[in-house]
Amino acid sequence: MNPVMTSGRAEQTAAARDLLNACEREPIHVPGSVQPHGVLLCMDENLRIVQASESADVWLSHSADALVGRECADLLGESDMERLRTARGRADIEESPLYIGVLTANARHFDGVLHRNDQLLQLELEPTRRGQDMGFGGIYPLVRSFVSNLQSASSVDALCELAAQETKTITGFGRILVYRFDEDGHGQVLAERRDESYESYLGMLFPASDVPPQARELYLRNRVRLIADANASPSPLHPRDNPLSGAPTDLSFSGLRSVSPVHIQYMKNMGTLASMSVSIVVRGHLWGLISCHNAEPRQVPFDARIACEHLGQILSLQIEANEERAQTHQRLELRRILVGLLSAIADRDDFVAGLMSSPTDLLAFAGAGGAAILFGGRCELFGDTPDEAEVLKLVDWLSAHSSNTVFSSACIGRDLPADVVSMGDTAGVMAVSISQVHRNYIIWFRPEVRRTVTWAGRPDKTATTAEPTMLSPRHSFEAWSETHTGCSRPWSAGELDAALELRSAILTIVLRRAEEMAALAHELERSNRELEAFSYSVSHDLRAPLRHIVGYADLLRELEGEGLSDRGRTFLANVEESATFAGTLVDDLLTFSQMGRAALRPTQVNIRELAESVIKDLDAETAGRNVRWEFGELPVVRGDPAFLQMVMRNLLSNAVKYSRGREPAVIRIDGEDTATTHVIHVRDNGVGFNMKYVGKLFGVFQRLHRMEDFEGTGIGLANVRRIIERHDGHVWAEGETGHGAVFSFDLPKP
Amino acid sequence: MSTSLKPILLVEDNPKDLELTLIALEKSQLANEVVITRDGVDALDYLFCRGDYESRHNGNPAVILLDLKLPRLDGIEVLQVIRTTPALRSVPVVMLTSSREETDLLRSYELGVNAYVVKPVAFGEFVEAIADLGIFWAVLNEPPPGSTRVARRSAQK
Repeated sequence: MNPVMTSGRAEQTAAARDLLNACEREPIHVPGSVQPHGVLLCMDENLRIVQASESADVWLSHSADALVGRECADLLGESDMERLRTARGRADIEESPLYIGVLTANARHFDGVLHRNDQLLQLELEPTRRGQDMGFGGIYPLVRSFVSNLQSASSVDALCELAAQETKTITGFGRILVYRFDEDGHGQVLAERRDESYESYLGMLFPASDVPPQARELYLRNRVRLIADANASPSPLHPRDNPLSGAPTDLSFSGLRSVSPVHIQYMKNMGTLASMSVSIVVRGHLWGLISCHNAEPRQVPFDARIACEHLGQILSLQIEANEERAQTHQRLELRRILVGLLSAIADRDDFVAGLMSSPTDLLAFAGAGGAAILFGGRCELFGDTPDEAEVLKLVDWLSAHSSNTVFSSACIGRDLPADVVSMGDTAGVMAVSISQVHRNYIIWFRPEVRRTVTWAGRPDKTATTAEPTMLSPRHSFEAWSETHTGCSRPWSAGELDAALELRSAILTIVLRRAEEMAALAHELERSNRELEAFSYSVSHDLRAPLRHIVGYADLLRELEGEGLSDRGRTFLANVEESATFAGTLVDDLLTFSQMGRAALRPTQVNIRELAESVIKDLDAETAGRNVRWEFGELPVVRGDPAFLQMVMRNLLSNAVKYSRGREPAVIRIDGEDTATTHVIHVRDNGVGFNMKYVGKLFGVFQRLHRMEDFEGTGIGLANVRRIIERHDGHVWAEGETGHGAVFSFDLPKP
Repeated sequence: MSTSLKPILLVEDNPKDLELTLIALEKSQLANEVVITRDGVDALDYLFCRGDYESRHNGNPAVILLDLKLPRLDGIEVLQVIRTTPALRSVPVVMLTSSREETDLLRSYELGVNAYVVKPVAFGEFVEAIADLGIFWAVLNEPPPGSTRVARRSAQK
């Protein structure tokens, strides 16, 4: 049944369901009778007749009762018996009735068909005008022209047109319909050939309830089914039950099997007294039927039925090939888009950016109107999508209710709870979960497609005139239209597969990237170790010569200073000073490298107390200067006290240094709280800096001032940044030349 | 030269550092003899009275000034032997080093070093540090003015 219906359909659905259920219960394969245009003889393995249809009276001039217990040889000549015995030995009569030729009995010719079922050899005899030696030569030209025309038919519809035409020619029925069953089991008429007096059903939909499941099952077993005369009285079997089993004889494979009274009524309601169906079976499933109607009773000779069966098989193969070609084409196209998407992903650092770079492909890939990517807390929307809040609601629902990797619905109004559905025009959703653990999804959206369906008869008019106890089919076959809303174009199996493929490709890429990151981390660790070895060696080997220079210069001054000229003493002092400075540089550099490696020992640190102790230490530097210290509200943070002391010392001594000459120098330490961090600002009214160089401030050995103006090795702020970043915080600075500077850092709240 | 004082054992491979250290010791006016060895193996030979030092009279130095980076056996290894030899275990050891490496420092303290001196770049500071050490670990003697209280042993074997 179709999912969303206009009002009024609900009742119809219930009624149709009742009928369908009743039909489903009808045991149509054991009617206990056959159609009267032929004779059924059931024999044991010794070819002794154990059951016969009443029609034997008409066609064989023996009453059924008289035949029971007789040898078949009493009816047929020796050559016919020979064929019968040969056929009896063949294995394939278990699976399908075997044509054994034109048999002669009671001076009449019959087409004889034999199969074994329900422990019985069932011989069906149908009178024929063909003589003993005539084959099926007459039907060959018909089928041949059909086959050659088929090759030029490019679509399934065109194939069906041809089949309808050909079947009409072969059978001479008044109307031929070719229909396919949709996913809900409704039969959609794709092709029609009819005489003018017949109503047209082209394009209409026959409800699934018209063909109950057990009838579909029989259509798979008997590929051709003829009901020659709906008005003919069925010819009962004698005895009624299978004498070998004591149960009603299973007539599943019998071509003569009589028709369910419900179906007879259905035919009469439809105005057809003869009907014939040819099954279209694709990949083992009942794909559709060629359905033939005739207003008057009509016998179709056995050979013509064989021709139709053959035609049905060719049509089935062609449809299968056609569908596979279409599928292959679609898959190739999907693959082309997939490859494009993947190369876009591979070109970028993260797959979201990759998908975002080719939104057209992302949408075309799933034939969608819109898409959403949810990854790592981001939500990116493309094309026509519901708004972000709705998408997030959908994701909530998906992660709670769908454990499948792919979820799809062409009808969210039907498949999702009402509070998730308010998605505007969106009616179809296909969602692929990228990670089982995190809520990462790619979701495609399709708009609603309004669709008008024309039913071959208003299905809710079933069983209205019959007595309530009697199962009765619908009476009306008048066209009746309804509009379907709330659904999108359905998601095909190919599209679902492709979405899965995209997912696994993304996973592969993400995994590969993780491996690359791990390799990179490994490499970093290695170079870190190298750097450690390097600083170790710098610490030992570079310091020694500097120490020697300073030591010997000092000794020289001490021992020979008196003998040197003033210039000589100045030079010697410069040598000492330079070497000493170089030594300080080396020491600072080592401190910096140790900072990156030493373990943090975090505890509660009161910033106010820390600042005050640092200010005390700076006494020597502030001596003789007018420095005013100011404090805002300052927090207690979590961090390594020794390292944070170093940060404070660097920032405050910088502030003291660069406010040299201000009267007074004002240095203010402020605190500020955000939701997740403590922020500390150190503000001075010193020389400031040009914001153009702000990026250089925190680099190693970066200096913005001349050495004569402000001494220093240029490593202090690099240390500050390193320490704060190791505490998962950030540093930044603002300043203006001549108007002071603000240095700030934040630390995450615990 | 006074023989009543135990000597100071200086283990240093770099000749310039050696000279500067000796001058620093001289400036701190210690009366102790200073025995010089130039690598870890040599230092242990002295301590165990073997090899070149077979004939020396027994007795441990007042203090060992041990450079960290030495050829053959380094300072840490020498310290390790000293601390695991009962006869030497109680000799004070002062580690002299250029290094500010935390790992060296931790390792030295783990092995029971008595003091650890990072040789400062400024010579004055170095003289002060050596003087402090000497006063603490060696026996201070009033030297006669102008006399050298340092006996140098040859660096060559």
